[in-house]
Amino acid sequence: MNLFGDWHALLIFTMGLLGGMIFGATPGVNMLTLGAVVLPFTVTMLPEHAIMLFSVIYCAGVFGGAITAILFNIPGAPENAPTCFDGYPMTLRGESGKAIGAAVSCSAIGGLASVILMMSATGAIAGWAIRAFGPQEIFALIFFGLAVSASIGARTLWKGWLSVMAGLLIATIGTDPVGGIPRFNEGSLLGLSFHSYYLSAGIHFIPIILGFFAVSEVFAQAMNIAIGTRERPQAGLEFPSAAEFWRVRWTMLRSVAIGFFAGILPGIGATLAAFLGYSQAQRWSRNRKNFGKGEIEGVVASETANNAATGAAMIPLLALGLPGGALTAMMMGIFQIHGMEPGPLIFINSGDLVWVTFAAMFWANLLIIFLGWLQTKTVVHLLRIPFRWLAPGILMLAIVGAYALRNLFIDVWVMFIAGIAGYLLRRTGYSAAGVVLGLILGKLGESAFTKSMQLMDYSFLGFFERPVAAALILLGFAAIGLSIAGEFRRRDEQRALLD
Amino acid sequence: MAVKGIFDAGSRNGGEFWKSFGELSAWLLLCGLIYSQTQLFDREIPEYEFGVAGWPRVLCIAAALGAVAQFCLQRLAARRTVEKSPEAEHAGFVGWRAVAQRTAIFAFPLLWLVLAPRVGFYLSAPFFVAGMLVLMEVRSPTRVIAVTGAIYALVLLLFTRLFFVALPVGRIEAFYDANVAIIGFARIGL
Repeated sequence: MNLFGDWHALLIFTMGLLGGMIFGATPGVNMLTLGAVVLPFTVTMLPEHAIMLFSVIYCAGVFGGAITAILFNIPGAPENAPTCFDGYPMTLRGESGKAIGAAVSCSAIGGLASVILMMSATGAIAGWAIRAFGPQEIFALIFFGLAVSASIGARTLWKGWLSVMAGLLIATIGTDPVGGIPRFNEGSLLGLSFHSYYLSAGIHFIPIILGFFAVSEVFAQAMNIAIGTRERPQAGLEFPSAAEFWRVRWTMLRSVAIGFFAGILPGIGATLAAFLGYSQAQRWSRNRKNFGKGEIEGVVASETANNAATGAAMIPLLALGLPGGALTAMMMGIFQIHGMEPGPLIFINSGDLVWVTFAAMFWANLLIIFLGWLQTKTVVHLLRIPFRWLAPGILMLAIVGAYALRNLFIDVWVMFIAGIAGYLLRRTGYSAAGVVLGLILGKLGESAFTKSMQLMDYSFLGFFERPVAAALILLGFAAIGLSIAGEFRRRDEQRALLD
Repeated sequence: MAVKGIFDAGSRNGGEFWKSFGELSAWLLLCGLIYSQTQLFDREIPEYEFGVAGWPRVLCIAAALGAVAQFCLQRLAARRTVEKSPEAEHAGFVGWRAVAQRTAIFAFPLLWLVLAPRVGFYLSAPFFVAGMLVLMEVRSPTRVIAVTGAIYALVLLLFTRLFFVALPVGRIEAFYDANVAIIGFARIGL
């Protein structure tokens, strides 16, 4: 397919790019909403057009979520959550243009790097991933990811871990991964009992995310307005300088590697990639004390890592037929609608379609730089609209987004309860992002753990018989030890200052 | 020695101690409650030795231990430092109007959640938007009406006319008819 010679393809490409960026940047809806809306229309499209559309939506949607994270402290998707930690403080300082500029450029760089890696070695990488990564390694990777990322966004290490624990506990609601037996769908306390069909299906993470980020942010700002302490963000149009990009080159490279590695593994994807990228940037940075206060390196790390995961997520889909997330599952559906089965044979039977995916993602990432630069100059003017006018609109979008997920009003209740909980968590120094990380990885982690236990005949030492799993678990424990030591050191420094 | 330090700190800095103690109690209560509820589905599965309740119970215990560790370290740290909480920084006299406004910020959406399925989304949404604007201290009636109209029109255009999202139309007959009429109006010409 000649993308620039076929006006129909060009139109679909442009619509996908703009749609992905707009849906990604609008609280309450995201790229999955757009994917679900356009999926039925792909039946009548040419297969290459349909695949191209979804590839472009995927790249643009992951980037789009950074805009609201930076401007309003509301991430468009969970993978943009770490972007808030430094992006929003930069906006408060009047450096919104710089933060969006960094997010744009690094999203494109991360995406392009992973597409190039994907083009060069999809088959080989997929083969390695499937051989080296069984349930033990998946569990070990989640353990490692949680160990190094748990304290992100929390006032102290312990509050970070407790936030993750809360997320993991919420993830246990619903059916268990082995026997399919419902958990917490009925309760009994002081002679009172209840039963809920809703809880049998588990709590969906979308209303929780909307609640923790969008609703709690509106509550927090409303309270600041009521108390009279709200800081008004300022619009800034300055783009990051070449020297600033050069200063964070190693962070970018590290985040590309982390994002690509996390993206290859089905189900792990961009969220863990962003958290890992951020936590590692903080660990290795010379300016680690500025993280969380508006350090551009934080924005660079999370946005490079989450976009690097997009290209890598195509590897298990194309080479093994394993979709890693909801949007890649929709892409698998498109292949099947058009009579193709992703897997090793797709390179032989439909090689041209594979290259359409590669090319579409490559061009989408390249164009994100240009469109993102335009956004830097335009979208920051949203900050000139008073937040008190925007807030009810954000709530409306969140309400419709939560309800439309399953046409259940109880999802809207869950969202508002999560909003109130998120507000209280923020006030007490806990991390809403930590809860969401635990919630997203909880089910996957438990499933990997149960399979590992069955495979290892219930011997915990079995993890140490597999080199990758053993290394990840040992690194996870080392990270916990270092974090605790760092916490004590920080307290000692505070005491010394006071003395 | 360490245990003595924990409670010494409590006696010297009562407010902080009770705050930490309250936080610990909340966590222990929550973990205990969740743990007790696991008994309702504590079944053995032939193919999995740890059973259905194993994983949530381990998480409950880990969270409880984490909360205890947090409490101990907070108290040990409080021997030397007295951290100012964000609430303390803004502490002062708060009038009844401010208290009512702050309560309403949380209570008003919950009230709307109770009413919306009965009255219908299309009828109740403008009142919700207008109410939130007033709570966010938009005082000019013209601005409240204009912003409410703009947001409502956008929602109707986007979700009712373009994406055909089926939002609640109310369970009470009169409200149901009104909601259906609004949907019909939003889709004129389709």
